[in-house]
Amino acid sequence: MGRFSWRWGKRKGRTGLGILLVCSIGLSGCAQGTAPTASSAENGQSGTTSTKDELVLAVGTEPEGGFDPTTGWGQYGSPLFQSTLLKRDAKLQLVNDLATAYSVSEDGLTWTVTLRNDVTFSDGEPLTAEDVKFTFDTATQSGSVIDLTNMADVKAPDDSTVVFTLKSPQSTFISLLTTLGIVPEHAYGADYAEHPVGSGPYKLVQWDKGQQAIVEANEEYYGNKSAFHKLTFLYLDEDAAYAAAQAGTVDIAAIPAAFSKQQVNGMTLEAVKTVDNRGIMFPMQPACAKSGDGLPAGNDVTSDLAIRQAVNVVIDRKALVEGVLEGYGRPSYSVSDDLPWSNAEAVFTDANLEEAKRILAAGGWADADGDGIVEKNGVKAEFNLLYFAGDLTRQSLALATADMVAQAGIKINVEGKSREETKKMAYSNAVLFGWGSHDPLETYNLYSSTHKGEGYYNVGLYSNPVVDSWMDKALQATSEEEALPFWQKAEWDGTTGFSYQGDAPWAWLVNIDHLYLVTNGLNIGEQQIHPHGHGWPVTTNLEEWSWDNSTK
Amino acid sequence: MTGRNGWARFVGFKMLRLVSLLVGVSVLSFILMQFSPVDPIEAYIGGDMIRVSAEQRNLIEERWGLNESPMERLLAWGQALIQGDLGTSMIYRQPVADIIQERFMNSIALMAVAWLLSGIIGFTLGVVAAMRRDSKLDRLICWYCYTLASTPVFWIALLLLMVFGVWLGWLPVGLGVPAGMSADQVTWGDRAIHMILPALTLSLTGVASIALHTKQKLTDVLESDYILFARARGERGFQLFRRHGFRHVVLPAITLQFASFSELFGGAVLAEQVFSYPGLGQATVQAGLRGDVPLLLGLVMCSAIFVFTGNMVADILYRMIDPRMKEELMS
Repeated sequence: MGRFSWRWGKRKGRTGLGILLVCSIGLSGCAQGTAPTASSAENGQSGTTSTKDELVLAVGTEPEGGFDPTTGWGQYGSPLFQSTLLKRDAKLQLVNDLATAYSVSEDGLTWTVTLRNDVTFSDGEPLTAEDVKFTFDTATQSGSVIDLTNMADVKAPDDSTVVFTLKSPQSTFISLLTTLGIVPEHAYGADYAEHPVGSGPYKLVQWDKGQQAIVEANEEYYGNKSAFHKLTFLYLDEDAAYAAAQAGTVDIAAIPAAFSKQQVNGMTLEAVKTVDNRGIMFPMQPACAKSGDGLPAGNDVTSDLAIRQAVNVVIDRKALVEGVLEGYGRPSYSVSDDLPWSNAEAVFTDANLEEAKRILAAGGWADADGDGIVEKNGVKAEFNLLYFAGDLTRQSLALATADMVAQAGIKINVEGKSREETKKMAYSNAVLFGWGSHDPLETYNLYSSTHKGEGYYNVGLYSNPVVDSWMDKALQATSEEEALPFWQKAEWDGTTGFSYQGDAPWAWLVNIDHLYLVTNGLNIGEQQIHPHGHGWPVTTNLEEWSWDNSTK
Repeated sequence: MTGRNGWARFVGFKMLRLVSLLVGVSVLSFILMQFSPVDPIEAYIGGDMIRVSAEQRNLIEERWGLNESPMERLLAWGQALIQGDLGTSMIYRQPVADIIQERFMNSIALMAVAWLLSGIIGFTLGVVAAMRRDSKLDRLICWYCYTLASTPVFWIALLLLMVFGVWLGWLPVGLGVPAGMSADQVTWGDRAIHMILPALTLSLTGVASIALHTKQKLTDVLESDYILFARARGERGFQLFRRHGFRHVVLPAITLQFASFSELFGGAVLAEQVFSYPGLGQATVQAGLRGDVPLLLGLVMCSAIFVFTGNMVADILYRMIDPRMKEELMS
């Protein structure tokens, strides 16, 4: 689909075009009446009063597979129709949902969760430990994005106790408890995805496939009641969602940054902080033989620490945010900025050309032939940076970064490639990737040497035994709080780590704000730092949403 | 030889061609999907790539039979198809036949309206242009047709969306039914209103070819001797056209209109995408982008049958209406 820029500013051409179009329609015998008048977008802005207990949302793409948590529904944002054992609050701290408590055995292999006993599904049946067991067993067999391969088994010794046994210690198992919605064993069947029954704050009333889902408040819900009785989720393209916002059809719409410059009557632009990051991955090994799949691996330039640190420190991240993201974002210094498991000490002062030059000189890089590019042992400081072709944000970030880095005497050749090409070239070239998750397992998969080179795991083949041992400790921890310092130490423990001060296997650039157009007066509460993936996460705290009467 | 025999042979021959066509397009589509850079597992996993282990990837592969060789998969698919099973869609987790049926009902109404409109309007415009040749009206119609013939469908769709959905606010900006309305409250009027913009988009672009062809054909007719003779007898305007022109130009127009099924289908894919209209187009885009082979093959076959039917109807109509063709068929 071609991207259409919605610039109907004060250009002369557009009126002509509009009239022309209307004339041609008139000619074809389908005239809608009179010629176009000066009427404009405001006319749709009706019916939005501060007492309305219904909302229309255009915040994400349709979950085609339906609303079955065991095949992936609810991984981002709230599962809405189902509830989870635990959840994360606005500060991403763990809080109980269905669970009243949980404990982990000394060896980290046995997880015991106790459940509240006052929960019923929307059909009136009670929710018991058997349902939890059923949910996890079903998810294990579904062959979907729910990865339960580390779970040996799950038992329900009594109605309010669930016991999980893991194959190896994994403190990040908690993420599954916060994301996997519990389905009822008695009401689960082949058509569950289309007719979900759960214990969540809402129940599904109607799903018009390819168009919308209509939901209503679940009377049986045990938690805080939402201020809204009925929600309609429209599944619209970004272009169509923006048009719907302009026409006044929706109360909240997710929009890309490119549309942020235009005002929409009756709506306010809300920028939500995210960990939806973009960063440069460096191949960490010298150019050598081949990777496991026989692909060329390693790079003589990016394998040099001085180059990686110089690139990191010379980049002006604030300028990238202003220039490329129109100000909607913030600088990024790690894969998990501002999340509980990131290390605040790993932040550094960037846009520092002097420091970059010092690092390069100390690393033995000098410009002997006077062409503006430094060399070392006859190797020029020049490498390719790949991005996924067609992604304008990534392209702009890559080009702007190349310009900044050139000042330090490092030449970056920016190339747009398809995903498939990128995959083949990623072991030997720097790549602009984007990540960001509410699960520290992502950190592990990006930096651990255990799975390096498997799919998108640790593509740069980074390996540091100290970092590995910190992350293993983090995984073996018996609670998230206990694991946090280990994750932070893996990033930077004072002597080594995967931060800029340590091995600098990545140069993180920016975190991209997620933008929402929100009807004036609608308060969407305190939002979490959103993960990678725009749209749904905004619904996580639906029960906090309300009409803000003071502004009306 | 009797007529009935001729027809039977004709239909039998057509059916044979349809079967071979279906085998051809499905095998070809399958091979193209094999060469496509889209990794179905990756497309299925989407944003969760870094949280799904290699072990889980293998489970997904197994679940969808992607670990078997392409040949095995194609054969398994073909065997199931013979038993009437189109397979299960990976992204919708639903039988392909169900998805197609559901989507087809939406698309068929949209395409039928657009097809009728473009046929009637296109024919009328063509006739008017030929009867008033070299007038301002003729030039306006030709200009319109040339412009529309070279305009991408989705662009027209976006313009219409902008003008009627946003600026004027007369029509809804998308979807097939009103937002937030429960199914039992949705009236046929609501559905019709939501269909206007996508149908208009489709018929606007479909008008061009039929109008230009009709104009050309009628121009030829008007230059013939018998028209000269008719004019000499004092026949003018509409009467002249009705008595001597209509029969000559309506046949090629009808043929052309039926043969345009493929463009109609292609256009519907784009228009539905822009208007979030829940038809076959939307499903096709999803299936293609995310490497859902069973769904895509189902849709490809469905569209092949659709286009083939259009062409066959054109063929039959020609033979039925034009006596010369009928003789050829019967002999």
